[in-house]
Amino acid sequence: MHSLYEIETTIKRSSRAEGLSWGVSEEAGKAVRLLEQSEFQGLESFRRLIDLGLNNLNKLLDVDQSNTRNLCPIHFGIFFLDQSHNKELHRTYNFKNINEPLLIVPFLSKSAKKNLLYFHLKSQDLNFTISPGGIYFINENFFPKNLTDFSLTVSTNRKSKYTQSSWDYLYKLSLDTFVEETEEKKISGAGAGLTDND
Amino acid sequence: MQIDLRKPELVMKLDRLGSFHQSKLSFLRSFIREFKNWEFTTEKFALDKQGFGHIVYVVNNGQKQYSLICFSNHIEDSERSDRVIATKWDASFVLFDGVPTEEDIERLNDNVPLQEQGRVSEKELCLSRANKSVRVFEHVVDKLSKGEQPNTKLLYDVGYLYRTTAVYGSGKFGLADRIKIQNREELKGPFRLEMMLVYLARQFTFDVVNHVAYSRSPNKAVKLKEDIARNLGIGNSTGLGMAPFIVNHPALLNQWIIAKEKALKAIRSISSVSQKDKDIFQSYLSIIRENIKFWKTESDFQKKKNNQLLKDLSIFQKFYSTFPLNKFFWNSIYEWTEANTQSECCEFIISLMMEVYPDIVEPLSFEMSINEDEYFDIDTSRTIKEVCQLIEDQYTWLLDINFDDKENILNFWYYSKNKQEPRMSDRFTEEGSDLELPLAIARDVSALYDDLKSCNLEKDLGYYLLKNQEYRHILRRVLICEKLPYSEIQDNTISKTLIPVDMLRLKLSFFGATRFDPRSDRWVRITMYQGAPLMREISKSDDTWSYKKIA
Repeated sequence: MHSLYEIETTIKRSSRAEGLSWGVSEEAGKAVRLLEQSEFQGLESFRRLIDLGLNNLNKLLDVDQSNTRNLCPIHFGIFFLDQSHNKELHRTYNFKNINEPLLIVPFLSKSAKKNLLYFHLKSQDLNFTISPGGIYFINENFFPKNLTDFSLTVSTNRKSKYTQSSWDYLYKLSLDTFVEETEEKKISGAGAGLTDND
Repeated sequence: MQIDLRKPELVMKLDRLGSFHQSKLSFLRSFIREFKNWEFTTEKFALDKQGFGHIVYVVNNGQKQYSLICFSNHIEDSERSDRVIATKWDASFVLFDGVPTEEDIERLNDNVPLQEQGRVSEKELCLSRANKSVRVFEHVVDKLSKGEQPNTKLLYDVGYLYRTTAVYGSGKFGLADRIKIQNREELKGPFRLEMMLVYLARQFTFDVVNHVAYSRSPNKAVKLKEDIARNLGIGNSTGLGMAPFIVNHPALLNQWIIAKEKALKAIRSISSVSQKDKDIFQSYLSIIRENIKFWKTESDFQKKKNNQLLKDLSIFQKFYSTFPLNKFFWNSIYEWTEANTQSECCEFIISLMMEVYPDIVEPLSFEMSINEDEYFDIDTSRTIKEVCQLIEDQYTWLLDINFDDKENILNFWYYSKNKQEPRMSDRFTEEGSDLELPLAIARDVSALYDDLKSCNLEKDLGYYLLKNQEYRHILRRVLICEKLPYSEIQDNTISKTLIPVDMLRLKLSFFGATRFDPRSDRWVRITMYQGAPLMREISKSDDTWSYKKIA
């Protein structure tokens, strides 16, 4: 088995050898390292990307760009990593297709944490949400090599995932840690004065 | 009196950094302080009569163990080379996490002697190798086997029995990644495991000569006197491979330098200094002036530095002997030294000052590591104008360099395909500059600055990066330097005038190396642990061993 250091360094250098800038290559190395550390097939995914030819892939440079076919996941990921601080970009986007979508996950994950964002990816084949909380379960077997007709929603809104009755039940339970207040305690236990007018 | 940290524009010049000396903050000394209460034992001794086989040393605190497995192999004289391009060594070492089983040792025996060509696993932490100093090794074994002690003049001129040529850690060749061990309390200081490996390898060198001498003549042989062994370190031969490290790890470099600068600031800020403290400093100064005589080198560059150091120390001594114990005594000493001596002497005096105040200096050694990933991401909400301002403030020194001038871009750094090691060559006469490593920081910051200046300054970095990714790695550095001001060497690392040995010296001084002996402007021999306690007496170490008199 190779160490994570070896994986990161090898991906960084091979990205550079394929013509990416040093800075982008560093990002690619970190992304694949994170995937492999999380036991995803990041290296295999990256290798398939190289086979496609990085220069043949379409870079996402503008959310409103007309051609969103054959997108490069590294540049797609870096786009949202770099741009997501801009609130004007917090909306839903539609894209035609992207290669090796697994590789966008580390970038969205980092951006989610940095900017407290939620990324909801939706398509017929794949749906997932990446949140700033950092706990998400993604089955890599569901990751296609190429994802078609998908949307990405960027949002700061955290959705409530529980019912009101569950909340009410737990809140009532939490009150059991409080002490019932007698009239005497009202006088002696409070730190402030007895009226707010003194 | 308000004493400030020295400014990065003074400290981070390569000439200054290349004059740093070992100190209480040096990693091999903080290693001994951290591990002195652990138990050091020889777990297995399996050498044949010629000294070939293996030895296992274990370092144990009752709950945690580390083991060094040392393999000693026969090689022909013609195969012995200091260069990293060598393929065979007299000895090879691997530091193991825990205590190895026989199967582990067998597996490692097949791989560790091969070094870069072998594979190790995440059970292993560091890897290294060493060659005998042939003239010394044979002399010592010969003398000991005849019942005599070796010629100490010869021994101390060299300073060691074996010389290492590389120490690898942190995930290289399959070794454990740093994340596996970074939260261990005993490993909070930098390079602790590498320092452990080298310390135990030094013990191995003594055990081998004693064993071979005994095997040659069991009735007559004597052991190497401990007083002599203690004055021997372990050598190291280091080439350009070490130089890019300090450029590639700006956040870590900042931690090393700022620890030293904080120590100096705190000492200069002491308002009242006792006669006792002044005398302690004097005692170290007197010993070290004697020990400097053992710093042998054939390098004109280093001879000049050593001679200047001796000359400066001589005038410093006159000043120090007569200067009264006024308020802020150390600040006056520092300011006089800075004004009247060269960097080599000035940095030497700072190291000596640090010896007097363990309570100030030693805690700082725990601040010398950093999580570099925390500084990796670029804050793209910053405006282009802000970054231009940062460059103007932090990189003032490079804004006037003309990068169209050949002499300012003469060299390029690259990885050798054969050994995957960094090298430096002339870009105008040699092939390969299209594969240049991103180590031309000054040139690239200048190019980034020009690029940014041509943009709408009110836009943010996100906007800039949409269409300009070429200098992304440099943008990262500029933002790191804003938070960590001692992260950047303030010199042009590709200019004709660059002396790469200065970069090596910077790192080696933090390791705790002494006796710098440059063999060219690109590689240097040094000694580590000279004067250090032996393995069986490490618990008695009071961290003053660096200033024990040699001979």
